[in-house]
Amino acid sequence: MSEVDSNDVPVRKSRVIDMAQALSHLSNGMTVAIGGFINSSHPMMVVREIIKRRLRDLTVVGAASSGLEIDLLIAAGVVKKVISPYIGAEGLAAIGPGFRGAAERGLIEVFELDEAMFYAGLRAAAQRVPFNPWRSGVGTSFPEINPNIKVFKDPCNGETLLAIPAINIDVAFLHAATSDIYGNVQYVGHGFGDRAIYAASDLTFVQVEKIVSNEEIRKDPLRTAIPGADGIIRAHFGSHPYASPGYYIEDQAHIKAYVAAASAWAKNDDQGPLNEYIQKWILEPQNHVEYLERVGLSTLLSLDEY
Amino acid sequence: MTKNNHKTAASIKEIMATVLARDLVDGEWVEVGANLPVPRAGVLLAHLTRGPNMTVMIAMTKANVLIEPVIEEFELITDQRAMRWAEAYYIHNDLVENMKFRRKGVFFAGALQIDPYGNSNLIGIGSDHQKLKFRGPGAIGVCNATVMNSRFHLVINSHDKRILVTKCDFISAYGWGSGGSDARTRLGLPGGGPRYVVTPLCVMDFEETTKRMRLKSVHPGVSVEEVIAKTGFELVVPSAVPQTELPTDHELHVLRHRIDVRGALRQP
Repeated sequence: MSEVDSNDVPVRKSRVIDMAQALSHLSNGMTVAIGGFINSSHPMMVVREIIKRRLRDLTVVGAASSGLEIDLLIAAGVVKKVISPYIGAEGLAAIGPGFRGAAERGLIEVFELDEAMFYAGLRAAAQRVPFNPWRSGVGTSFPEINPNIKVFKDPCNGETLLAIPAINIDVAFLHAATSDIYGNVQYVGHGFGDRAIYAASDLTFVQVEKIVSNEEIRKDPLRTAIPGADGIIRAHFGSHPYASPGYYIEDQAHIKAYVAAASAWAKNDDQGPLNEYIQKWILEPQNHVEYLERVGLSTLLSLDEY
Repeated sequence: MTKNNHKTAASIKEIMATVLARDLVDGEWVEVGANLPVPRAGVLLAHLTRGPNMTVMIAMTKANVLIEPVIEEFELITDQRAMRWAEAYYIHNDLVENMKFRRKGVFFAGALQIDPYGNSNLIGIGSDHQKLKFRGPGAIGVCNATVMNSRFHLVINSHDKRILVTKCDFISAYGWGSGGSDARTRLGLPGGGPRYVVTPLCVMDFEETTKRMRLKSVHPGVSVEEVIAKTGFELVVPSAVPQTELPTDHELHVLRHRIDVRGALRQP
């Protein structure tokens, strides 16, 4: 048995990238997914950068239940079509004000579906088939208000089912707890539906709170939820104002300030407060550090979980 | 602990929660949504008083709260602090894709509109879907959960003609279609459908053969006439309508000292 000469081992490439590298994969009109769940785990560094770069006509795939990160993208004029069964912030905003305002004015196309249809569509994309069958929804308005969903007779047993078309995603952005430099992503907690978004996407970039060693990942490989992210972005407090399990809870005061600004537009056609919000929190800060400085240390430290 | 609180009459929301609790059977699978104080309390009341073998999902975890003296409330379903009781995680896509466990499940749903056959709408109000007069929250997981669980209850916090309508603008959760006890089996829908509609005024169920909504009981201080006047369609009204059964002293004690310490159900 010969020993391995370390000089003969080829070097494995790091997948750690910066924001510019991640965003270089985007162009107008693409289908882009944003992970997380309602008030937690959204890649907000990326969301703010998408708005800053004035991307247009995106089809945005939210989570099975999205939060106001999708609402903000809609309010900022980035979105042409939205695919998400819910956009809101529970008790902080039962219905996202930007989503509501844009939908009622006919400014966006809403791909209407429920959570089960959403995952059926992602699964079809992951499986590289044109659709997945689903039962719930037969008898409802879904096939009428979303003509992409078809009623069909199952060829095996003749049952009436819905065909949910594949939701193919060009680029997905997620936010998680940790990764090593090779794109092995681990969550604290369950990671919501992020695995399903990853499986349906051509490319996946993940913001993480912390980059850890490969040895650390190998202590518990079952926790590796995304085993092959295409790029890892360092993102301390990168989900702010939303929660990041294991790191911080949501910043309710900030979320409420956004809700007030977007509601002024949605309810009273007053664009002023929303423009001020976007100016202050997205356009003026030159980078994520400047954004966090604006949020302030005392606020950030107050978001400790326990 | 004193029992003084029990001298305060049960609030309407405590009565609504008790109605839901008494429908549940030990061994069933239930979820505690966030920001839904009435179904949350109903589920936990059943679990803590007579359903120790129920599976209770809190914040996407299989939660062991049976021996918790006080079950803290969380405002948001994403709150990681609500995951402290986890015996298992429900990874969200597994939760929504794997349906067999829901055969023992019971679900609770709200609605913008409900018609006489328990069909309901969360999409919005208006005739043009791409330009709604009022954009609703969307179906979330309700379309699927109302089919795959063994049954569901519609719970609304206002009883009026805007919600209880002759015809929904859109149907996002199927009830009994246009009526008939075979309305669901004809479409191949496995679940038992809507059982109760619980409102601040009354409890309604569905007449066995037509599956039209029927007044089952009125809460204390509410008359049958008031319910009829505030319902936007013709209800089936039996000749005798009883008062909704009230929580026992023990149920009120558990509600106020273990489940709803902050008093969300006692707010007007």
